Formats: sequence, structure tokens, C-alpha cells
Amino acid sequence: MDYLYGLAQTIGVHTIIGLSAYVVLQTGQVTMAQAAFYAVGAYVSAMLTTLWGLNILIAIPVAALVAMVLAGLAGFPALRFKGLMLVVATMALGEAVREFFFNFDYQIAKGDLKVGPAGAEGFRQIRYFYERGWTTAEVAAFIWMFVIGIMALLWWMDRSRIGAVLRAVGEDELAAQSVGINLTAVKVSAFAIGGAIAGVGGALYAHYTTHVEHTAFGVLMATFAIAYPILGGLSSVFGTLIAVVFIQGLLIQWLPILIGGELRNLLFGLLILLAMNLRPRGLIDPRVARTLRGLFVRSPNA
Amino acid sequence: MLEVSDIVTSYGKIEALKGVSLEVEPGKITCLLGPNGAGKTTLMMTVAGILKPRRGSVRFEGRDLAGQAPRRIVEAGIALVPENRLVFPNMTVAENLAAGAFTRSDGAGIAEDMERMYARFPRLKERSTQAAGTLSGGEQQMLAVARALMVRPKLLLMDEPSVGLAPLVVEEIFRIIRDLNRDGTTIFLVEQNAHMALQVAHHFYLLELGKVTFSGAPGQLAEAEVIQRAYLGSKKTQ
Amino acid sequence: MVTFLQSLIDGVTIGSAYALLALGFTLIFGVLRRLNLAYGSSILVGAFAGAAVFAQWKAGGWAVAAATLAAAVAAGVYVERLCFWAMRKGAAIASMVSSFAVWMQLEEFLALLFPGRTLSFPPLVERSVFELGPFQFRTEYVAMLAIATLLVVALEWTMRATRFGLAVRAVTEHPEAARAMGVPVARIAFWAFVLASAIGGAAAYLMASAEEQVTLHSGMQLTFTGLIAMMIGGIGSLRGAVAGGLVLGVVETLVQAHFGATAREIAAFGLLFLLLVLRPGGLLAQDFAVREAAALRRV
Repeated sequence: MDYLYGLAQTIGVHTIIGLSAYVVLQTGQVTMAQAAFYAVGAYVSAMLTTLWGLNILIAIPVAALVAMVLAGLAGFPALRFKGLMLVVATMALGEAVREFFFNFDYQIAKGDLKVGPAGAEGFRQIRYFYERGWTTAEVAAFIWMFVIGIMALLWWMDRSRIGAVLRAVGEDELAAQSVGINLTAVKVSAFAIGGAIAGVGGALYAHYTTHVEHTAFGVLMATFAIAYPILGGLSSVFGTLIAVVFIQGLLIQWLPILIGGELRNLLFGLLILLAMNLRPRGLIDPRVARTLRGLFVRSPNA
Repeated sequence: MLEVSDIVTSYGKIEALKGVSLEVEPGKITCLLGPNGAGKTTLMMTVAGILKPRRGSVRFEGRDLAGQAPRRIVEAGIALVPENRLVFPNMTVAENLAAGAFTRSDGAGIAEDMERMYARFPRLKERSTQAAGTLSGGEQQMLAVARALMVRPKLLLMDEPSVGLAPLVVEEIFRIIRDLNRDGTTIFLVEQNAHMALQVAHHFYLLELGKVTFSGAPGQLAEAEVIQRAYLGSKKTQ
Repeated sequence: MVTFLQSLIDGVTIGSAYALLALGFTLIFGVLRRLNLAYGSSILVGAFAGAAVFAQWKAGGWAVAAATLAAAVAAGVYVERLCFWAMRKGAAIASMVSSFAVWMQLEEFLALLFPGRTLSFPPLVERSVFELGPFQFRTEYVAMLAIATLLVVALEWTMRATRFGLAVRAVTEHPEAARAMGVPVARIAFWAFVLASAIGGAAAYLMASAEEQVTLHSGMQLTFTGLIAMMIGGIGSLRGAVAGGLVLGVVETLVQAHFGATAREIAAFGLLFLLLVLRPGGLLAQDFAVREAAALRRV
């Protein structure tokens, strides 16, 4: 059972990071910096709880806020870049942040133990949940509270004016500008919202794994972050969730059990390729999305 | 020479051409006029083989070319001067011309044709080693025409050659069109500038919302009405 | 001053290999308008094949070089067919994500085949040092610079003087116009990919033979180095790629000489950042960057 709860934790956190990229992708900006904000969320929140003993319900919003400010700041120079330039610039930002945590050393003595980020070794002993005796199931439930909250928020946003504005910018910047949309404000806000969400994801990640290190925040994570919403079709938050379940649940967790761990990455790559080739607009492309919606929502003229 | 019949071309589910039929007679200048979004460029791209029609035929000198690769169509003797010229900006004028002759492999013939182009367009000769992106709009249009002529086409398709050019330059381009035609090249021209087009055309068509709504010689329809329909579309179809 | 000039010389040498990496990247990006994240790992497959041939038969330089190039091209073709050729037109990001999946796949493939993860690689020439005035020259570096220069010149000639080169450049600048003139765009893109893989394979060969070993981690480094050098030079420009590679090599070497190896890693990204902010199009900026933006806008 614990195994399943563990899987639920992974899926939950990955859904959050996928959603963080979803917001930015809505504006037509392909970002590879989400892993960086995820890292910031992880380190900041873990330092708050572990080094200074703050409650996690305070640590998470603070971490999200720090990640949001950083993402907002990154959003301004990012305005200058489009397309590939943005991909590479954000990738470079992500790598720079990873390098920073690779060299980040700040420990304080706690009892007979020194805790805190220790450069290449990473940040061990993030024992918040353990010290309070939370079970795996409780931690999973805690994570999913955030997942559901963020999904609900974005689901509402998609249907509101904000979502329409984000998509307008994504469709055609010139047209959006000509109807009076402030591109700078929209793009920077999208970056900031995405950064905050990624920060929440990182905070939750740090606390359930209890040990973070810089390798977890590299290009792999950045690619996952944009791959989920793209594979999910970018038309609904549920697509992102389904893509995470598909990749993390099906491909990464169950596939090795079926075929043996050695070949995992080989087959994993192949299946991603297959999915991308057969459904280049995502597993849930607009047509499937319409069909699905039709199942649950009665059309007005039916 | 060119017979387009009942062509349907669509982007996804949207039909841009809804059964277009028209004909280009050898040795003539045929014009296609119509408002933006009527499908003029789509028709050009379909004839040039860049877009595949869903239905219908494109017969050129008796052969059906519909759906053939652009390369086959170029080899059959049809060359396109694309909308917005699309010269290769970082390549020299000479390289642009050489690229135009991509489908040919006779080195001597290509060199000879390049000289012919330079004779026809002396300004290109002056700038032959200059990057095409540094040319003026009119010169770029000349280069785009010369590039298309490098395959010695029997039929030249020209997609809005006057767009974005100053009035004097437009007159020069139309003079070139007339000259080319006099020297034996059949021309099929898509234009927004109905006034200029009607001066050179032997025959013209009006295309509105993916359908041909008029076919005739200039003079058969009052110029004011042509201009009205070419810019705005007629009220009936709107 | 002498140390500075010595670093400059070393930087230009290593930069010449970077220039080859960037050339491969920019060729692919030019004709496809898509980012190939599997570039580094596919040419690493080549380097491992070369190392394997060396380990198995103690083969000489030519056989190792041939094996490296052949395997790099084979891996490149695999990437092209799966991530680029098969993809729907316009799905640039789907291609990029797929190429990332292939990156992981190829690395896993190498890890399974070569559990040791580090293989020795034969040097290009006998290791030795000769002096010229106050400067020291390592023979293997001189050979590397010579071969890289030769390859760059040969590529420049191919791009300027052959029909294929003309077609590649035409497709890079305006694919639609090139198509209208009868250039078979998909086929040209494929052969450009093959050429880029061969150039990347040559770069991998030169770098591996200078270090006399290949390791599995270098795939990512190769990708990033090529990518950054391309961006510094200005995407879509072959001369920019050469300039970007040289600048990156020199800056990295200078930073390492003065601030140590850790700073070297950050230097590449720092340089890129600085340049992107000061001159977003790269050193030899073209309007290309503006035009390619449209290619990656639609997911």
C-alpha cells in the first residue's frame, strides 16, 4: 500500500510542476526554467522548516513567494526572446540555478547533527513529516490537497477572462497587443504564476523525499515539466494530469515491473516517441477534449 | 495552356477554394483579382504544387499536374514568383539566380541564362555579388522574377508582385511583366492592385470567397465595379 | 602577457572543435527550425563506437575515425527519422521533447553496452610538446586545430559552391520559396542532418582523441557546448557558428586559467546570458532569429 501512496506523491508533485509550465505555455512561451523555480521552492521551504523550525503551512507559501519573485524577475529579460532563443535562455537560467545549488553550502548545528544544504552532497535530513509521525498516506493526501487546489484554480482561470488573455497572447502577440493587451504584464505574470506553482511543487517534493540535491533539478526535470502539458494537449489542466499518470505511473513505475528495469529508459524513450508521433498535439488533443467534455456536460441543444 | 477545373483546396476543415475553374491561354496575361482571403494565393500554391488539392484537376499542356511535387511542376515549365518575393536575403544575387535553376543540371545553359537575366535586368548585374537582403524592394522583386525565369518557364505564376512597393516601382514591375509577355512568356498574375492589373491583362477573373464570380476581358465590366469587388468583395457573396 | 597569449592559443584550439559542434547544430536548426537535444548523445554514440573498435582490434587512427563517423551518422539518422521526419509539420516542440527522449534512450543504450562508462580513445598523434618562442604547443592540439580548420573550410566550400550547399542555404532562408523552385525540402533536410552528424562525429573524434578517453557524461556537455556556441554566434549563420565556437573556447580557457575549473562551467552560461542581453541575435545576428520565432511559437 505504501508503494501506491508513494506513487501518488510522485504523481501529485509532477502534476504540479507540469501545471506550472502549463500556465507559461498558454502564452506561447516555451520555458525550460521551471526546474529552477522548483529547486528554489525545495531549498527555501526545506531551510525554513528544517533550519528554523517553521510550520510547513508557512514554509510553502513563503517558498512559493520567493520562487514567484524570482520567476517574475526572470520574466522581464525573457521578454526579449522568442522561440528557440527563449528555450535556450531559460535552459541556461535553469543550469545556472542548478550550478548555484551545486555550490550552495549553508549548515547549522542541530543537536549533534549539522543540517542544511551541503553543496554537491545536497540537503539531507528534511525530516519534517517524519518528526511529526505523518504516514505515507497522510503525506500523499497533504500533497493532493495542493494538487486539487491548483488544478481548481487553473481550471477556473481557463474559463475566466485571465485565461482568454493568456491564450490570446499565445495565439498571436500582435493581435493581442492591438486589442489593448499589455504583453509585458501578461508574460511576466504568467512567468510569476508558473514560478509560484513550481515553488509549491518543489516544497512538497523536498519534504516527501527528505533529501534533495542539484541533480534533481536539471534539464531532465525541465523537459518533464513542459512535456506533461504538451503531451496532455494544452487544452485543459486534466490533460496534464493524465500525461503525468501516463509517464510516471505507467511508463516509469509499472513498465519496469513488466519488462525488467534494465530496458526501462530504452522503452520509455520509445513510448514517448510513439505518443509524440501519433498524437503530436498531445494525448488529449482538442477533439478528444471535446468528446470527453461531451460525456460529462450536456450540450445546450441536446 | 493551363486549365484549372473544379479545384477544392482546404486547410484542415476550412475550404479555401470551393471548386475553382479557370483557364490561362498561351501567350496571354491572365489576371486573378479578388479581396484578401478570397483564396488567390491558395490557388497559386495549388498550381505550383506546394498545396495539394482535395479535388479537381490542374491540366498543363494536356497533362494533369494536380497533386504533383513542386519539382515535377517546375520541370513541366511552370515557375512561381512567390508573394512577398521571398528572395534569399543572405545569399548573393548570383546565388539566388543559381538556386532558381536548382532543377537544371546543364552548367553552361545556366551560365548563359544568368547572363540573359543580367542583360534584362542591368541593376541585378551591378549588384550580383551583393546579398539579396540589401537590395531595395523593387530590385528584390526583379530578382524574384529573374530567379523564377532561370528555369525558362513557359508559364510564369506571379503572386502579388506589386505588394509593398512604391507607385513608381509598381509601374516598372508592370512594364517588366508586359515585356516578358511580349517576348513570349505566358503570365498568370494574382493582384490586389486591380487598376494596374486591368491595364496589362488580356483576360481576368474575379475570385470571391473561394469561387470564381466573374470571367471576361477588361472593359467588359466597369473598372469601378472591378475595383470595388477586388477590394471588398461583392455584396451578394458577403 | 605570455600566459594570456598561451591561453588564447589553447582557447582557439579547443574552440575549433566547438565550432564544429556549433556548425552541426546550426545546419540542423537551419533546415528544420527545430532543436535537436539528442545531438550530443548521438555523436557520443559515434565516439563510443570508435573507442570500442580501438579496444577490440587495437585499430589505428583511420579505422577509429571511420567507426566514429559512421556510428554518429547512423545515430543521427535514427534521431532524424524518429523525431523530425515523422513529426507533423509545425510541431517543433513535440520534436524537441522527442529528441530529449532519444537523448535518454541513447545514453541508456550506451550505459547498457559499456557498463564501465569510460573508455580509452587513441590519440590523433603521438603526445608531445614543442616550443616556439615563449609558447608551448601540444602536437595533438595542433593536429586538432589543423583538422578542424580543414573541415570548416571544406564545409564552407560545400555550402558556397555545390548544388547541395546552395539548396541547404535556400531551405534555411525560405523553405517555401525553395520548395516552389523545385528543391525537395525533406530530402535536403535529411542529408543536411547526415552532414551535421558527420561534422559532430568529427568534433567528438577530435575532442575524444585529445583527451584520450570518452565518458558517458559528455553527451550533455557536447549538446550544451554546441548549443551555446551556436547561440553566441547567431543561429542560422555558419560563419556565426565558427565565431561562436572560437569565442566560447577562448573565454572558457581564459576563465579556467584565472579562476579555476568550476568557474569554467559557469563561464559558458554567463557568456551566453551577457550576449543574449546585449545582442539577442548573437554575434553575427541575422533577421533569421526573428523569423524562426514563428516556428517555435506553435506547439
